[in-house]
Amino acid sequence: MYCKKECIAMLLAGGQGSRLYDLTTQTAKPAVTFGGKYKIIDFPLSNCINSGIDTVGVLTQYQPLALNEYIGNGAPWDLDRMRGGLSVLPPYQGNKGSDWYKGTANAIYQNINFIKQYNPDYVLILSGDHIYRMDYRLMLDQHKKTGAACTVATFTVPIEEASRFGICNTNPDNSIYEFEEKPKKPKNNQASMGIYIFNTKILLEYLEADEADEKSSNDFGKNIIPNLLNNGEKLFAYQFSGYWKDVGTISSLWEANMDLIGDDPVLSMSDADFRVFSRNMARPPQYIGPKSKIVSSLVSEGCRINGTVINSVLSGGVIIEEGAVVKDSLIMEDVVIGKNAKVYTSIVDADTVIDKGATVGIEDAGKEDITVIGKGKHIKADKAEGRA
Amino acid sequence: MAISAAGIIFSSLNDNTLSRLTNDRTVAAIPFACRYRLVDFALSNLVNANISNISIVANYNYRSLAEHVGSGKDWDLARREGGVNFISPFQTAYISNNSMFSTRLEALINMKEYISEFKEDYIVLVDSDSVMNIDIKDVIRAHEVSGAKITLVTRNAEKTFTSKRPRMMISSVAGKISDITLSSTYTEKNPELSLGIMVMTTAHLRILIEEAQAYNLNSLTGILQRNFKTQNYRTYNYKGYVASVSSFLDYYRHSIELAKNEKARASLLWHKEAPIFTRVHNSSPVIYKSTAKVEGSMIADDCVIEGTVINSVIFRGVHVERGAVVKNSVLFSGTYVGKNAQLNCIVTDKDVFISDGVTLSGNENMPFYVQKRRKV
Repeated sequence: MYCKKECIAMLLAGGQGSRLYDLTTQTAKPAVTFGGKYKIIDFPLSNCINSGIDTVGVLTQYQPLALNEYIGNGAPWDLDRMRGGLSVLPPYQGNKGSDWYKGTANAIYQNINFIKQYNPDYVLILSGDHIYRMDYRLMLDQHKKTGAACTVATFTVPIEEASRFGICNTNPDNSIYEFEEKPKKPKNNQASMGIYIFNTKILLEYLEADEADEKSSNDFGKNIIPNLLNNGEKLFAYQFSGYWKDVGTISSLWEANMDLIGDDPVLSMSDADFRVFSRNMARPPQYIGPKSKIVSSLVSEGCRINGTVINSVLSGGVIIEEGAVVKDSLIMEDVVIGKNAKVYTSIVDADTVIDKGATVGIEDAGKEDITVIGKGKHIKADKAEGRA
Repeated sequence: MAISAAGIIFSSLNDNTLSRLTNDRTVAAIPFACRYRLVDFALSNLVNANISNISIVANYNYRSLAEHVGSGKDWDLARREGGVNFISPFQTAYISNNSMFSTRLEALINMKEYISEFKEDYIVLVDSDSVMNIDIKDVIRAHEVSGAKITLVTRNAEKTFTSKRPRMMISSVAGKISDITLSSTYTEKNPELSLGIMVMTTAHLRILIEEAQAYNLNSLTGILQRNFKTQNYRTYNYKGYVASVSSFLDYYRHSIELAKNEKARASLLWHKEAPIFTRVHNSSPVIYKSTAKVEGSMIADDCVIEGTVINSVIFRGVHVERGAVVKNSVLFSGTYVGKNAQLNCIVTDKDVFISDGVTLSGNENMPFYVQKRRKV
């Protein structure tokens, strides 16, 4: 049974994340581990439940196994509901043939029937690529107040980086008069966060038209938003201030994790009023041995540490043996770091074993020279692993 | 073949000997080992043996236990069939004889109608004050093979063993029980300590209940003592780690033992195939600041450590401030330890606030307890 919802969310989680190299060969980007116990997708899903949105369609495509298993029926986010809740929406075969999702707009287009079931007044479009905590209710309030057809969430970026984003050029009342996708000479530094609220009727109308246009690349930023503007629809920017980070590259993923640690972290996960929910693996509490040293780090459940951990983020079940040193690194689930091994400025993916005495990475290398070790690798002691 | 068994957990039959910890909770709800409550071990042992019809017998003070167990979802026990059920004393407007259960047998007699509906072949009775990670499937298998009427899980008691409440002490010959007594110390005559886990067929439990009603018996120990000479009652000798929590001092010692003894941790918590499940909170990983110093300790999620923690067990959401030193202590969830405070051999209950610079010290044989929400 379906009942009417005021606002439902459509979460685009099909991104491949090819600039994360080894980390996404077997895993979709939204399922990449972040901050020890989280996956990137925990952030938009937790934002939904913390914003009172209880109906979420998650559109998957690339390497969905790990992601689907992680999402399950949405129970970790309290999204296992009788009415609404979380639905995974993969590409499917219909009587007119089957299609992979061609672009962000096409992915939503193919699931128009899902949206119609709930007869929502508004549809919130999200992507599964960013680390941020946001109350979508505030954005929806603004959307209603301005009477916009579509509201685009924006974030102030440094002007020198603005040409990497879709830029909203706005009037003083925040209404958008121009949208430029990755402009060479940006006029503004209000970057689109890839978060949109649409009036459902307008969204469906433009998706149909976009699908009929054979020249379209079926993308929100390239097609739908410019088309709305060209037709004189009311578009507004919703200026978000808070932490927001695209973690699409190795260095930005590493940096965002480093933002969690230190004595005055840029991003804190311990805000009791705005929890980030995640699937829990029933691991035992962490044990810190008598000869260990842990400073300025984040350590998750199930870790057993007998070595030294400095400025690092450790996921669940990591074992660090005596004399081993981990510094400025991200260590994913169930990695074993042998006696006296050294890991510097690295991202080590899950289930990898680093033999005793081995060295991985370059000490104090900085964010431009991060070593990446893929999932389930075995690093032997006789050769040092530099940059992957 | 798959085992068909139902579990019954007794949650509160020795509240009185654990006075301080049971001020506002029942025994099964006592926090233990950083992130668990005692009932988690009983529940997980049953769930790990694929037992999915579990009854928790609760007498009083079980609000925090009910809140913890909830629908049973975190143990995979939120089922349409079976799952987890709370059994409280049966009272109606017609029968109100103030009938709290004071023994396990009284509770079982009270549950007679309910048990008569069980479709499972076997019943596993579990007390919640003996903490272990045991393979119940193996106990049931041994029970089947031996042809026993009842199998009791025991371990060999140390010569120094004492208990604040009298415990069932057993001697056996080649596994067959030859004597049962109640005692609060080790005796050479009956060196095996019952760990409060019993296996029998559902049919046999029904017979025991009939017998108890017919002869007006009110304790399980009594009925076993009456029958062991004529019936095949056997022991299953368990060799793994057991924390028997019969007093506050027991509780403290076993907690600190987990921080110090690797074998205890491995036996209880580190089984990959038999995890201990508990209620999930959406908490952050532990945050260690630049001034943190931690040695030989177990720490739960959501803690912020800026000071020194040695040989201690730290529950969820504890904050140890800069310059503070916590040694040989057990800090329940939400404890705040202020700057330069010093704690040694302390057990703080939930949400205790230790102000800056305060020094508190107990002794290993007499740890100091700070009650819930107290500000020091």
